[in-house]
Amino acid sequence: MALAAVFGYLSRFTTVPSSMTESVRATLDDDVLVRIRGLTTVLGGKTIFDQLDMDIPRGKITAIMGPSGTGKTTLLKHITGQMRADAGEIRVDGRNVAELSREQLYKLREGIGYLFQNSALLTDFDVFENVAFPLRQHTQLPEELIRNLVLLKLQAVGLRGAAPLMPSELSGGMARRVALARAIVFDPMLILYDEPFVGLDPVALNQVLRLISTLNQTLGITSVLVAHELAAVRQIAQHVFLIANGKVVAQGDPKTIADDGSPWTRQFFGGEADGPVPFQYPAGDYAQALGFAGVVK
Amino acid sequence: MNARGRQEGNAVTQALAQIGLCGLFLLTLLAAVPRSFRYVRETIRQLWFVGAMSLTIIMVCGLFVGMVLMLQLYHVLSIFGGTSASGMVVALSVYRELGPVITALLFAGRAGTSITAEIGLMRATDQIDAMELMAVDPIAYVATPRFLAGVIAMPLLACVFCAMAIFGGHLVGVSWLGIDNGTFWSNMTAEVDVHTDIVNGVLFKSLAFGAVVSLIAVFQGFTTPPTSEGVAYATTRTVVASSIAILALDFVLTAFLM
Repeated sequence: MALAAVFGYLSRFTTVPSSMTESVRATLDDDVLVRIRGLTTVLGGKTIFDQLDMDIPRGKITAIMGPSGTGKTTLLKHITGQMRADAGEIRVDGRNVAELSREQLYKLREGIGYLFQNSALLTDFDVFENVAFPLRQHTQLPEELIRNLVLLKLQAVGLRGAAPLMPSELSGGMARRVALARAIVFDPMLILYDEPFVGLDPVALNQVLRLISTLNQTLGITSVLVAHELAAVRQIAQHVFLIANGKVVAQGDPKTIADDGSPWTRQFFGGEADGPVPFQYPAGDYAQALGFAGVVK
Repeated sequence: MNARGRQEGNAVTQALAQIGLCGLFLLTLLAAVPRSFRYVRETIRQLWFVGAMSLTIIMVCGLFVGMVLMLQLYHVLSIFGGTSASGMVVALSVYRELGPVITALLFAGRAGTSITAEIGLMRATDQIDAMELMAVDPIAYVATPRFLAGVIAMPLLACVFCAMAIFGGHLVGVSWLGIDNGTFWSNMTAEVDVHTDIVNGVLFKSLAFGAVVSLIAVFQGFTTPPTSEGVAYATTRTVVASSIAILALDFVLTAFLM
């Protein structure tokens, strides 16, 4: 019984559904894990994405950067199927996310890890149970194996000793590492990091940075990183997308992308206050707002 | 239409939209009941939180309601020389109205608010989204167990409330005011009908109140804006909406069950 559960757990990483068509298999075989075509999203009358195209390479660390409010987190929500686009197509591992049923979408999500900006640990459970949560929900593994898997993942993030602690007893950096352990507990094919470096001190930032890089190399996980920290991104990412105005305005090697000469990269990577992203939020006539219309020429 | 008329119109439209959404949410909850059977332990845990943890307030309030009811009735009935019937009147009042209604109001204040605040904070801290992304259905794992726990706990709490109220009435009537113990119990057992007063009065009403309060509490938690202000408003709305719903539903149920 226990052995069958173990084999059941292992088989989830090796079997390919027989219903997959040849075209899907072809997509699986190529180097792109997430393929986005013509993505268009309008929220509250504002166009977030306008015919956005993006290919996220398999097995690499890809950073998505851009000014605040450009929809980086929204893009992650599209990839996980939390949000539906108004138009366009997103294929993850060959599967069109918009066409998946609820069960198929949940099955896909079992292969995706997601690291929230605020860690999103379950506050009722201690660190051990937080990491064990996905295993308990989706497998019938014996308790001893669950314990070993959880301790293995906690050891990987350097927090095996923190297993009995509650989330409220953790620092921001520790909470993020626990969330990372939870995200990798199923050895996912893809991990999405939503601003993983925000609010971390230099030590915690370097720890998280090293973890992302190590996990990518040792487990062959595809990593998508939404971040603003160019220095950190340069250290670990192999590809960068800069999105603004609903489109990809620049992409390429993180070490050279800042030198491509476009006004977008110049402003974003140079930290200029004004440029294609205006300093002033769109507003009416300033003199008129102050009541000086007609007085000031 | 003037601005005030438009505002009132908007408020009515929003209220109707909320009721409609709440109805749809109920259908979602009921559809998730079979899926939530695998989370029996979570339902039992919630039963402990909303049921067992509410026992103290229910018992204390039940005791005092019975005591004050007996005190008032004794003084009124003594004018007509009918103090021997006060035990029976206490029992009928408690079984038919006060028991289920006051228990439901206390339940909304104690358990309903905690359910809303807990789910609202789970939303604000992305825990609900995290469950979704771990392929765990938050409706089946979070909402339905709390809803079922409320539906199961309410009739049990109402029974405890009624028992404590009768005990309080006995304490004041028999031990303090000197009503004969045999008269107190015999009048009560002669007049109280198990089907009309206990099954319809206590159990059926409290089951309906439990479903309504739990539904409102879970719905408010799930639909609250994920901010501290949003959670505060949602908690208040749970108490206000539950109280109105309990009293309105009580009238409807009484009219049909009498």
